Amino acid sequence: MKKILALVLAMLMALSLVACGSSSDDTATDDTSDSTTTEEASGTDEEEAEVEAEADAEADAEVEETDSTEVADSITLWTYPIGGWGTEETVNALIEGFTAETGISVTVEYLDYTNGDEKVNTALAAGEGPDLIMEGPERLVADWGASGYMVDISDLLDDTDIAEINAAALDACYGEDGAVYEYPLVMTAHCMAINKTVFEAAGAMQYLDEETHLWNSSEDFFAAVQAVYEYTGATVGAIYCGGQGGDQGTRALVNNLYGGTFASEDHTSYTWNSEENIQALEALVACEGIEFDASIVGGDEIAQFYQGTLNMAFCWNIAQQLDPNTAGTGSGLTLSGDEILFMAFPTEDGSDPELCGGIWGFGIFNNGDDAKIAAAKLFIQYMCDSEATADAVTAANYFAVRDTVVDGTVDISDIWADNEIMNEYNILMQYLGDYYQVTTNWTAARYQWWNMLQVIGAGGDVTEAVETYATNADNGISE
Amino acid sequence: MARSKNQPTTSRALVRRETISGYLFMLPSLIFFVGFVIIPMILCIYTSFFDANLTANGEDVFIGFANYVELFNDEIFRKALLNTFIIVVVSVPVTCVFSLWVSSVIYKLRGPLLSLFRCIFYLPVVTGSVAVTVVWKWIYNYRTGVLNDVLTNLGIIDSNVNWLGDSSTALACIIVILLTTSVGQPIVLYVSALGNVDVSLTEAAQVDGATDLQVFWKIKWPQMMPTTLYILVITTINSFQCFALIQLLTSGGPTNSTNTVMYYIYYTAFKLYRLGYGNAMGVVLAIFIALLSALQFKLTEEK
Repeated sequence: MKKILALVLAMLMALSLVACGSSSDDTATDDTSDSTTTEEASGTDEEEAEVEAEADAEADAEVEETDSTEVADSITLWTYPIGGWGTEETVNALIEGFTAETGISVTVEYLDYTNGDEKVNTALAAGEGPDLIMEGPERLVADWGASGYMVDISDLLDDTDIAEINAAALDACYGEDGAVYEYPLVMTAHCMAINKTVFEAAGAMQYLDEETHLWNSSEDFFAAVQAVYEYTGATVGAIYCGGQGGDQGTRALVNNLYGGTFASEDHTSYTWNSEENIQALEALVACEGIEFDASIVGGDEIAQFYQGTLNMAFCWNIAQQLDPNTAGTGSGLTLSGDEILFMAFPTEDGSDPELCGGIWGFGIFNNGDDAKIAAAKLFIQYMCDSEATADAVTAANYFAVRDTVVDGTVDISDIWADNEIMNEYNILMQYLGDYYQVTTNWTAARYQWWNMLQVIGAGGDVTEAVETYATNADNGISE
Repeated sequence: MARSKNQPTTSRALVRRETISGYLFMLPSLIFFVGFVIIPMILCIYTSFFDANLTANGEDVFIGFANYVELFNDEIFRKALLNTFIIVVVSVPVTCVFSLWVSSVIYKLRGPLLSLFRCIFYLPVVTGSVAVTVVWKWIYNYRTGVLNDVLTNLGIIDSNVNWLGDSSTALACIIVILLTTSVGQPIVLYVSALGNVDVSLTEAAQVDGATDLQVFWKIKWPQMMPTTLYILVITTINSFQCFALIQLLTSGGPTNSTNTVMYYIYYTAFKLYRLGYGNAMGVVLAIFIALLSALQFKLTEEK
């Protein structure tokens, strides 16, 4: 009897660990220990409201017109670390303004990219999701929007808004059903970077245009890598593929080299098994200075580039340029003080790279409470289409998705006028490419991509690997 | 038989009162046990028969054993299962034998020296798994790792090895880390068990001319069997459930060479949101653990 009992207990231990983590009714993630609540406003200050910009009043009226339901006096916001939107002090300052104007208090919870998705998903499954969330279309549209968790917020976008917002950014916010699941606030273009100091010493600067931040051609890109490799005797750049972290960099490199694409224009199938991409991958495999490295991900690559171990990084953007490796040791500088030059990805003839975009904004979860939804809409309008938008954008450390707000009456195009690096980086924004991260079954496709790179890096046949994994991704779509 | 005068009187009321008190003391733990172990376990088995996911629109559809059928046709699951078994088959015996060897060397030590060795071997157990993993990640680093430096300087390797990025070495690296974090508890348990062996028996055997090996095998080993059984079961379960190392170091790669069942469950349930399929894997894993534990019970019983 004791043996049987011991056996059952052993089985319980094993099973409980699995079950505790995966039950759809698991509410263990309902942890609000990190959350902060702004001070409850005593109510709308009528005198203050009178001196508010006329445009703000119009915007509020617009919401009230579209939704005459009661407005809740408190809402919850969960935000991923999008620049300062991951910092309590910054967010509190923004929310205090919102609360003062509307009387609506906002409870904020800060997510991270390691566990944030699980936290949101388990909360949603338990019916305890937040009212608002800040992230990008790959989650808001392709994931939670497609799964039916999000509210269609197309009523927040009038013709003027649609005209003002960057078309590519706005397009990414539409679900397959035509609903709008994200109101975009900021955007950036992901790029790559080189150690300019080392490139100069290696005589490799001749292969690129420092002013335009473009490579002369794909051929010159490989020539530059070879020159640096011969100068340093070490790996120049790594095709990191240890996981999905920063994988947009490897996709952008492969897609741009010879004009390949990752997904179809209508975002219904994956097209990375094209001849152009195969050519690119074969060229990367053959390149001495480039190594496929399954032991690192994007974050590790950035760290190694910052340390000077690598002289080229494929996982880069304005946030990294402003503060490399988030180390606080100076903008555009490596640990040893070498100068970092951000670059577009190389293309065959040196023109028109297609950079992978990062678009962040707000979405509303449908928790079945119209009053909360109405309050959440007010929040979005306050942050994305009011005089407060400039502060909301600068808090994120990225570029605004529009030059004007409040029906064109408030100009926010010069919010980075005093920031030299932001101004210089702005040159890349024209190359923002298709936001294919909203393609159906995106999560599974990402998995296929970096696993494919691992196979290729281990010496697998490029054509066969590309075909197999792209087909796997497509099969995922049909499931 | 006549009751002694000093024997306490027991009555039904007293028994009932003690029983109720006992249950009340157990209640807090029982609530947690039922809420966080029993109910999730039942839900796990139940959900494994459904096409359950996390979408708001989709209803969970009963699909019978379809998840289980798919499981055994899933190449990645088979690979993960194989990797898991390799980890168990290597790490369990090595952990047990190594910890027994270390324990038999140090258990006779007294005072600070014994404490020192206990601390040294137990340190990785109490150190946070994330901290341990980060340190090992630096040791194994392809370009700047200390392991490559040492081996290159010793002339054992010609050029740097990508320990975690090469499918031929990655799993071995994971097992090495697992061993360092697994031996601490068994060593402490064995030291304690060896200290509890009846000295009169070993002395009598030595007087009768038994060798050290005979004393160990015939007298100490049988007395340590309960401890050994406990260590075997715990080490086996820990090895089966190896997850944090994989998640933090390799994400199951390269080319699934370090993918384990636990990691694949996590990926399926929390990345692909296929809860039913993930739970089916959990049930299968639990069955394997139970079978292996039963085998261990059987073998140790025969001993």
